[in-house]
This record gives sequence, C-alpha cells and structure tokens, in this order.
Amino acid sequence: MISISELSKTYGAGDAAVTALDSVSLEIDTGEFVSIMGPSGSGKSTFLSLLGCLERPSGGRYLVDGRDTATLSDDELADLRMQKFGFVFQAYNLMPRYGIMRNVELPLIYVGVGRRERAARAEALLRRVGLGHRLRHKPTELSGGEQQRVAIARALVNDPAVILADEPTGNLDSKAGHEVMGIFQELHRGGKTIILVTHEPNIARYAGRILHFLDGHLIREEAGTT
Amino acid sequence: MKFDDLTQIVGENLLAHRMRAILTILGITIGIAAVISVVAIGQGGRVAILSQIEQMGSSRYFEITVDQSRGEAATADTFRVEDATLIKELSPAVEKMAPISYVPLADIRLPQTRQKPVSAQALGTTPDYQAAGNLVVASGRFLSAGDVSAHSRVVVLDAELSKQLFADADPVGKQVFIQDNSATVIGLLKKQASVSMGLRNAYLPVTFAQEIANSRVIYQLSGVAVSKEALPQAIADSVKILEKRHTANGVHYKGQSLEDQMTAVSKVTSAITTVIGAVAAIALVVGGVGVMNIMLVAVTERTREIGLLKALGARRRDIMQQFLGEAIALCLVGGFFGVLFGAGGAWIVSFFAHWPPLISGWTILLAFGFSAAVGLFFGIYPASRAAALSPAEALRHL
Repeated sequence: MISISELSKTYGAGDAAVTALDSVSLEIDTGEFVSIMGPSGSGKSTFLSLLGCLERPSGGRYLVDGRDTATLSDDELADLRMQKFGFVFQAYNLMPRYGIMRNVELPLIYVGVGRRERAARAEALLRRVGLGHRLRHKPTELSGGEQQRVAIARALVNDPAVILADEPTGNLDSKAGHEVMGIFQELHRGGKTIILVTHEPNIARYAGRILHFLDGHLIREEAGTT
Repeated sequence: MKFDDLTQIVGENLLAHRMRAILTILGITIGIAAVISVVAIGQGGRVAILSQIEQMGSSRYFEITVDQSRGEAATADTFRVEDATLIKELSPAVEKMAPISYVPLADIRLPQTRQKPVSAQALGTTPDYQAAGNLVVASGRFLSAGDVSAHSRVVVLDAELSKQLFADADPVGKQVFIQDNSATVIGLLKKQASVSMGLRNAYLPVTFAQEIANSRVIYQLSGVAVSKEALPQAIADSVKILEKRHTANGVHYKGQSLEDQMTAVSKVTSAITTVIGAVAAIALVVGGVGVMNIMLVAVTERTREIGLLKALGARRRDIMQQFLGEAIALCLVGGFFGVLFGAGGAWIVSFFAHWPPLISGWTILLAFGFSAAVGLFFGIYPASRAAALSPAEALRHL
C-alpha cells in the first residue's frame, strides 16, 4: 500500500542545509504494525510527517495505493490525509476550547458531515476507547492518558486505513502508555495499518516490524512481537 | 464545510478573545459611524439649503448682477430704475423685472420708544419684486407703481421683522422709523415656508430707499421669465439691453437663474460632503488596519491549530474561509453599530438644525457593503498567510 523509494528531505538551503532524511526506501503493506525507532535527530519524525503528507519530500518517490504523491496538489493531499490517514501526536493536540465530542467531530466538519451523524460517530468512538462516561468534558479536565484516547478517537473518525502516531506515549506514565498501546493493538487486529514513532524499546516491541533510524538513514530492521 | 459550521467556528473563535474582538469592532464602528453621519448630515444640509433657495423665489426667477468674480461692483451708473421697465418692454421673454437697492443693516424702530432698534435688511424695489421673490401678502398690500413714482414713505414688513417690532399685532397703518426716516407700514408678508435663515426684510419703494441710503446704486435686477424655457432668452436679452444702455462703464453683466444658483450651491455642498467624508473614511481605514493587525496576531497564535486542522484534512479553502469569515464578521458587527451610531448622530444633528434626516436604505446598504469589503480587503492577507502554511511546519510551531 505504501511504497517509498530513495525518499529524502533537506531543510534550508546552501551552507545551512540540513539533511533530515537521506535516501530511504521501504514498502509497508496493508494491516502491518510498524514501529520506527531512533534517537532524536535521527529523522524518524520527519519520515512520519512525509508518510502523512504533512510536507513534501525533497527527493525520491512516495506512492500511496500506487498514486505518486508528487503529482497531487495541496488540496488533493489534504483529501488524501482526510481519507487515508489518522494522526496521533505526542502532545495530543486537542482543541482546549472545545468539548471532547467536538474535538472528535472536528475532521468531519471539514468534509461536511451533518451534525447528527457527526455526534453519533464521535460518541461511538469515544465509547470504544473507554471514555463513554466523559462525553461532556473538556480536554483539560481529563488525564493525559484520557486525552490521548480522545486523540485516537479523533484519528479514527474518518475511518482511515492508516494510523500515524508520533511518540503517542511520550507524555504518559507507563500504565497509561500501555493502555494506549492496548488500543493500538486492538485497532491493528481490526485491520488498521499502524505506523508508530517511539524511542522506547518496550513500546516499539508492540509492533510486528521495527525500523531503526540513525542520522537520516534507515539502518536496521527487526521483527517485533506481534 | 457547511455554512452553519463555518459561522459556529467563526463565532467561537471570536468569543474566545472577547475583549480583543470588541476593541477591533469598536475601530470599525467609529469608522462607519463617522462616514455615515458625515454623509447623512451633508446630504440633509444640502437638501435644507436647496429648499431654502427654492423658496426664495419663483422657479422662473433670474437676476442680473455685475460679474463679482471679476471684482466688479455696481456703481450708480450700472443699473437704473428705468432699465427694469425697459427690459420688460423690449424682451418678450421677460415677464417681470425689478431693481433692487439695499441698506444692508438698517436700524428700524418704533416712534417714541426707547426700544433698541431692530436691525434688518431694507430692500428698495418695485411692485414686480413680489412675483420674483414669491412674496405673499398677509395683511395690507405690497408696493404699488404709484408708491415708487411718488417716492412714498411706505414700507412692507416681513413676518419676522413685524414680530420683532409689533409682536403679534397687525402693523398695517402704524409708523416706524427706518434709519430715522419715518414711514408708514402698508403691508405684512406671510412667513415663508422655508426655514428662516434669520434674515429680516423691509421692502420699500426703490426711490425711497435711495433717499434713505443717500445713494443711487442699484445692486441688481431681479426678474421673472415668461416660462422656464425662456430663462436663457430672458437673461441674454437683459444683458444685451444693459450693455447697450451702459456702454461707458465697462462692467460685465451676468445673469443667473435660481436653478443656476442651486446647481452652484449643490456643487459646493457635495464637494464639502465628499471632502469631509473622505476624512471620515480615514477612520474607517484605520479600523480596517486594526482588523488586519488582529487577524495577523490570530494567525500567529493559532499556527499550531492551523497545522492540526490541515493534518486532519482541512483544505486551504477551509482555513481561508475561517479567517476571512472572522475578519468579515468583525467588520459587519462593527458596521451594524456604526450604522446605529452614525444614523443616531445624523438624526440628532438634523433634529436640532431642523433638517430632514437623510439616512436612506442605500446609505445603510452601502455602509454594510463597505464594511464587508473592508473585512475582505484587510482579512485576505492574513487568511491567505494562514492557508498557505505547510502543515508540518505549522505543527512544529510553538
């Protein structure tokens, strides 16, 4: 489903240019659970944001379902993100002004889904991640683990094929972290493709495939426990 | 994005920074109120002045003066009383013609009182002036040809002057002193429908007025044409005859109809309104800059949020709509209050100045259109900056 060849990303220009990702080639199939590991500055977060079409590569090719992303316009990339990818961030990135229902509904607003259907889908997903008793709350009234579960519900609301998670357990204690990973495991069992960036080995082990990055290179690949 | 969702998001975003939104709206309110009130007051004033001019005389009215724009002034030789009669006889376009001499600030008082004299404009003229000036007699009669030829010491008072001298009593038959010359009141005029410009007039036979002023100068001829269409002909004939009869004095005679005067005044007042309106519009531009400023702050503050929305699948247009919507909403709310305050201000001014309040639906529509345009213009740069952000970069923003 995801096919990458010699993908590179350089920030800045001239003498100040920094190569964050250097010629990475990779295939990821539907339904895989992949962890990406590496120290900070290894290019793993850049790789994830390239996978999620949040930015464009400086070189190489990136095909999603056989479509070359380089040929897509900004709006087509936005549509691709909407249909294909769900994002989970380390800092949750919830809108503090909104209640958690509205946070989960947010992506649906931009595709023009009606109020009733939005509410139904958001509520079902929040129940599924174990927050059925907190529907009327604001994000700031929840614990970190609960907030991350809201973020996962939001990532799922468009029913995407791929969940991209950037250090989703980075701000959580280990119990909450393992709870969140439990949800990812369950989603994987349900057929979702999960791609997760982490620097914690015991989190990475949840995956079936662990990719090690260093200095912008994919240096090693190992099998996980799943 | 659906429209109701867009309005909800815009409303939520604005309410999240209430104070800021209110201050920005205040800027637009002041701008729109300034423009609306100035334009409305200007238009009201213009209509008031024009209606006053209109009621100064017949629509067929015209007057012949020397060309004051060349610095010329009438002398004893410029016009003669006989000129008026002659022009009327010679030109078929002229129906009435009256000479006018003034004593601009004549002291008028009652005999044997210590009352302070009333100061009024004493106009020396002939019976024809009644038609030219649209004068209506309320009591007694207007000047007659006999009064003029006999140098009769008689006077016709206008309503305002009579009120000052005699309060509500009928002045006809009473004596007054004009510059210490005794005269008998023979007529009282009806109050003119137009708003009083505070002028008080006494009408005397031109021959008597010349004696009082001790001067033979006639300042102008006031006439009435046989029809509106005949006005240019009447003016041309009058000027031609005058030029023929007064070849020696070298002045330029100039004719003007009431319509010419109205056009001239109308031009001046519109120009004044435009200039003051333009100054007021500066306030609106300042308000618009305030909107732009606040929207740029919002874009910077919400960069991360924009990155998130884009990651979640919002298109450029969605982000653009959201920020543009906020700018326009600020301006429309500001425009609403601006119309309210501006119209209120204009109404108060017109109330005290006795002008017709002139807030047309057009003015209001224009104000709203203009404030939306201000929002669009000053919002488009911040909004497109927000929409153009790369999602990855925006998400990295702290």
